[in-house]
Amino acid sequence: MSARWPDPVSTFRRVALLAVGVLAWETAARSGMFSPLIVPSVTRIGYQLWLLATRPEALVEAWYSVARALGGFVLAAVVGVALGVLMGRSALAAAFLGPLFSGTYPIPKIALFPIFIFLFGIGSLSKVLLIFLECLYPIVITTQAGGRAVNRVLLWSAANMGASRARIVWSVVVPATAPFIFAGFRIALPIAMIVVIITEMISSADGLGYLVMYSLASFKTDRMLAVVIVIALVGVALDWLVVRLRNRLVFWERLESYYAE
Amino acid sequence: MGGPDMAPHTPPRSAPAQPAPAQLTPAQRALAHPAPEHSVHQRADTGRSEARRTRRGAPRFRMQPGGPEFRGGRWMGLVLLLVTLAMWQIATRFDHPDFVLSPSEIARHFVEALWSGELLPHIGASLVRSLPGFVAGSLIGVVLGLLAGVARSLDQLLSPVVFLTYPVPKIVFLPIVMLWVGIGDLSKIAVIALACFYPCFINAYYGARGTSALLVWSGLNMGARRSQIFRKVVVPSALPLVFAGLRVSLALSFILLFSTEMINARSGLGFLIRQSESSLRFDLMYVAIVAVAALGYAGDQMLILMRRRVLAWQDATSG
Repeated sequence: MSARWPDPVSTFRRVALLAVGVLAWETAARSGMFSPLIVPSVTRIGYQLWLLATRPEALVEAWYSVARALGGFVLAAVVGVALGVLMGRSALAAAFLGPLFSGTYPIPKIALFPIFIFLFGIGSLSKVLLIFLECLYPIVITTQAGGRAVNRVLLWSAANMGASRARIVWSVVVPATAPFIFAGFRIALPIAMIVVIITEMISSADGLGYLVMYSLASFKTDRMLAVVIVIALVGVALDWLVVRLRNRLVFWERLESYYAE
Repeated sequence: MGGPDMAPHTPPRSAPAQPAPAQLTPAQRALAHPAPEHSVHQRADTGRSEARRTRRGAPRFRMQPGGPEFRGGRWMGLVLLLVTLAMWQIATRFDHPDFVLSPSEIARHFVEALWSGELLPHIGASLVRSLPGFVAGSLIGVVLGLLAGVARSLDQLLSPVVFLTYPVPKIVFLPIVMLWVGIGDLSKIAVIALACFYPCFINAYYGARGTSALLVWSGLNMGARRSQIFRKVVVPSALPLVFAGLRVSLALSFILLFSTEMINARSGLGFLIRQSESSLRFDLMYVAIVAVAALGYAGDQMLILMRRRVLAWQDATSG
């Protein structure tokens, strides 16, 4: 897992792999064995991608999806980190909330979506709240584990030097838990993307998930594949941002990733 | 099995002294054990058993690093659940919209639907879709992940692709797969398998990579063949993380199952939820949601039971 990008061999290998994939697709598209509806050619997908990138209305759709995903995610991050730190450092809070979280963790919260629609309307609010609920679990669980693993010598030192309880939580517990918190974020962010796309596919008139279903229903498969590529890129870009932010904030412990620096 | 370099290599090229597993795995361990049972593989340097003995020295904070030792913690959670249900039940006595049903009503409808046979075909249809997808995806993920963890060539081929496509929401492939293999069960199974592949691959990969070099050396020293080392050293030491991955995959498989069924299906619990919602049969909607929750919970418990059975040695050796 090299962090440095200019490694010519691995760069070449990745580019070659991508090129082989694209070539195989193009050959399949041009061979005439498949209907162009099922395997549209790369050039047509590229053209649709260009249309998506240049047309403002397509950008607005992407903005809807990203705003919903990030809205729910940020809400879950704030609440989840607070709850996780509390549960990690307080036996009482852990005893009260722990079973609640571990008991409802395996239940697919997506099943609650119809109820959410009735409660919060069919617009963005029900989607954002569902994303919040789905993202909350990984963040709380990882933060709690991190809060428990804080080196007690650090806590003792801080207490010894006269730090108040709030100060200890803010200046010792939260930084020491940060690697865990970001691990939780990296689990939660793809979940936020999944849920936003799913909810937009199920019931929406805007957003990228809707655009996928709409293009499919109107047999514009090249357009659909272009939207799928956009969604994939958005997912990777958000993850990349989290990794960047993590390495900036948790500067003492680098996270290795396959992203270019 | 032979061929590739079997020793779990240290991170290739210029990776720093601390390998990635140390950063990724605690979080995944945490996901594997959300319950406050004591985790068996904690970092060695924090001296947990010692911490328990000298707890009196802890100022201000109740510091029980091995988990809160609050007496009756499990019962507190149960009490909270019961209080919530009771408040819900009481709240429904007052003026409330149609789509809110009281817990007792939901329970009654659930039993009725179970007896009338309204529910079982849908549960069956859902399981027929989710189980093959989960089994295929996680099996491929675990096998490839373990192999990529020990074989450098496979690692360099697969890992960048897997890690870079990991944040892509897999559900977007449903329309594509639907185009290729049709709208039936196969497309749903394929998407579920794809989603289940990733957590299993990543966890098995880090599990195999995290194998203690000392154990491998001892094995080699005692004349074990590479395939033997893989089977008897690498696989057992990767198993805890493999189970963590399986657990994440199982949860994901349910999310994808119900969403694919909500998008297009003529049967299954996701379809039942959608259909009863649009026909305003809230009783049936709640019944289906309860069934979904029960199914998810049961699957998770089965996995935990399996883990306890397979990893029984672990608590004994490293507790």
